[in-house]
Amino acid sequence: MLEAYALVTIVIITKIFYTFPLTTIKQTGTAAWYTTLISCVGAIVFFALLYLLLQRFPQKDLYQVFEAVLGKKVSRFIILIFSVYFLYYTGINLSEFVTILKIYSMPFTPKEVLVAGFLTVIAAMAYVGLEGIVRVAYVLFYLIITGLVLILILAIPFYDFNSLKPWLGYGLGVSASEGFLKISAYDSVIILAIIANSLQGLKYFKRIGLSCLLTAGAIFSICLACILAAFQYTAGSGYISGMYHLSRIIYYSRFFQRVEAIFLFVWVFASVIAISAVFYIALSSYCRVFSITNHRPLLWPFLFLTFAFTFLPSNIYEIISVHVRLIRGYSVFLIVPVPILVLLVSIIRGKKGGKASGT
Amino acid sequence: MAPKKLSFLKGAIVLVCACCLSLTGCYDAKEIDQEVFTLVIGVDKGTGNMIRVTFQVSTYKEDGGNGGGSQNGGSAADTGELDGTVISTVEAPSLIESINMLNSASNRQISLSQTKMIIFSEEYAREGVGRYIEPLTRFREVGELMRVLVCRGRAEDYILENRSFIGGSLPKDIELSFLQSANTGYYPDVFLNEFYVRLLSPYAQAIAIYTAINDFDSLPEDGMEKGIIEPHPDLKPGEIPRKGGNKREMLGTVVFSGDKMVGYLNQNETRFYLLATGKYKRGLFTLDDPKSAGDFIVLEVTAHGAPKVTTFLENEIPYIYLEMLLDIDIAAIQNRENYFLNPSAYLELEKYIETYFVRGMEEVIRKTQQEWNSDIFEFGKKIAGNFWTIPQFEEYNWLERYREAKIDVKVKANISRAGYYFHPRPIEPEK
Repeated sequence: MLEAYALVTIVIITKIFYTFPLTTIKQTGTAAWYTTLISCVGAIVFFALLYLLLQRFPQKDLYQVFEAVLGKKVSRFIILIFSVYFLYYTGINLSEFVTILKIYSMPFTPKEVLVAGFLTVIAAMAYVGLEGIVRVAYVLFYLIITGLVLILILAIPFYDFNSLKPWLGYGLGVSASEGFLKISAYDSVIILAIIANSLQGLKYFKRIGLSCLLTAGAIFSICLACILAAFQYTAGSGYISGMYHLSRIIYYSRFFQRVEAIFLFVWVFASVIAISAVFYIALSSYCRVFSITNHRPLLWPFLFLTFAFTFLPSNIYEIISVHVRLIRGYSVFLIVPVPILVLLVSIIRGKKGGKASGT
Repeated sequence: MAPKKLSFLKGAIVLVCACCLSLTGCYDAKEIDQEVFTLVIGVDKGTGNMIRVTFQVSTYKEDGGNGGGSQNGGSAADTGELDGTVISTVEAPSLIESINMLNSASNRQISLSQTKMIIFSEEYAREGVGRYIEPLTRFREVGELMRVLVCRGRAEDYILENRSFIGGSLPKDIELSFLQSANTGYYPDVFLNEFYVRLLSPYAQAIAIYTAINDFDSLPEDGMEKGIIEPHPDLKPGEIPRKGGNKREMLGTVVFSGDKMVGYLNQNETRFYLLATGKYKRGLFTLDDPKSAGDFIVLEVTAHGAPKVTTFLENEIPYIYLEMLLDIDIAAIQNRENYFLNPSAYLELEKYIETYFVRGMEEVIRKTQQEWNSDIFEFGKKIAGNFWTIPQFEEYNWLERYREAKIDVKVKANISRAGYYFHPRPIEPEK
């Protein structure tokens, strides 16, 4: 249970190290810290619907439910779309990670070298499979959370929470609409439904999912509030990585300052796990479509495709304004409605499967 | 697959991963002695659109106990060498370009990652520093923890006198000198990050440390006319009557409006400013003794937390109430009056101290309102609480309306201790 919790939480929260704070603060200003809580509530509602769907088909994972409700052809088509989306998600996340790495830490290393190095690690993780990824996530989860908390605590002298005023940011309407769109930031919780058969029953599915969403909501909200408190909404909406900047301003004495090394460790570990997990989900989704039992022979072509997606955006502007906006702003129109529609269809058609276990 | 072949494959994958992880830094790897680290950057006005940028960089040499001057003989201005550092000045169209130009004349790459301070000449600060700060905040090498100073006179001349007097390490000397802000309160400690955030802020205006070189010509010599003793002289940096030691002197706060310097607070005003913003926790204040003309009372003042600031708007006029509690420890009473034995005298003294601090803070606030219309107190953050949304707050334009604010200061002073003596006896008169 803890392994799955660690994995999904890491996959969701990793975006706080990327441009997520920048875009959220840019769009909602001082309301960013609770806009993400609106998204979190939306994500919990989505998760509740996912739970209801799986509850109708105990002992089946999400893709099996699709097949049971929609039939083989339609379900496989949808799973294929999911697979492509997850692959695209992997490529864009990797592109964002590498671009930020180049901006802050490795300006002269060619992007190809960084991507190739990262993909090698992803390949190794995906080769081992879900079990390996989950165990690495569990081991590093504590390190990642400790590093994150450490950065937030060490930067306390620089916070002024009066910078969170005016409380409504750019207006309640903006916060509500952005809050809805940013449910996308939490939609990785769907991974739990995809790997539901690897969990110990629906009871655990519910517990893990809720815990992941609440943890991620709290982390996003606290991090955004701290970034706003340190940099205000004006400078905060300008920094490529607000969390990285937070780690750079830490100053206690001549000896204890500039602890961005902590951030780099946390950031790289979290990124490796998050990107590997989504890559593996893309790969296994594809295998499900074509009933391929061994995913390993497909590693090379999928790595090649990820490499291609990584180079889709040619600059930071494209990454932030087009691709990241798509996966963290509009994926809510793909990932969220499909399971809800399937739930509706199953209710209308009165489809159910098997007896509930572990509920 | 055979187990032997499988384990070989696994081993190979682990090896490749390990190599990849360790090799990605190679492109960006730099040996420590491939770079020289800039300690101080000075920005002066150049000819036309150009700027004159002065860099003081570490040379990795000991100062050699040569009295802090050049090892090759000659003055620092001639050789550029000073206390294990080298000072170079270049005229360039931009700050970042100046690094490039200087790189062409240096056998090592100039790095800004360890820079301790950036100094703008006052002449330049009054014209606006925004376009020189912006590239610094964008440039990956620049640390947000360098301090921002404005110097009287040329920054280049200032850097030529920037040397270490206690200990051999100039970087350590520079960094420790900023920590004195907390002990004296005569100047604020301003990091580049804070300065930049305030430049963009709709809540407040930026400040910087005011600094200058003291040529030691302010100390009255024997035979010079003696003035009246003034506990709070209006001193600019470079004017402290002293001689010996470091010529570098930080005193006062530079006040900005937007990115332009509009004025300064002297050392005492700076202390009231820092008290009012909750950044000055403890320090000594010297007051005229109300009962004995010509004598002073020295107080050790400790602020009880940050001041409480409440605001409201009435007909769009901002009203601000600043309240603070001070804990007073009497450090010296020159006339040896025992205020503790006489309750009315004690209350009178408390009232006197409260009035002193209220007047001091009100005077500083009035100055920032009437003379510069520059909210350096960050009252805007509290005022923002009176608006629901950012567009409403930005439309109100607080920074423009700061002048209109009615600000009331209340101080509660609590004299809690009087040093070692409780019953000081008067000194026996001459017999």
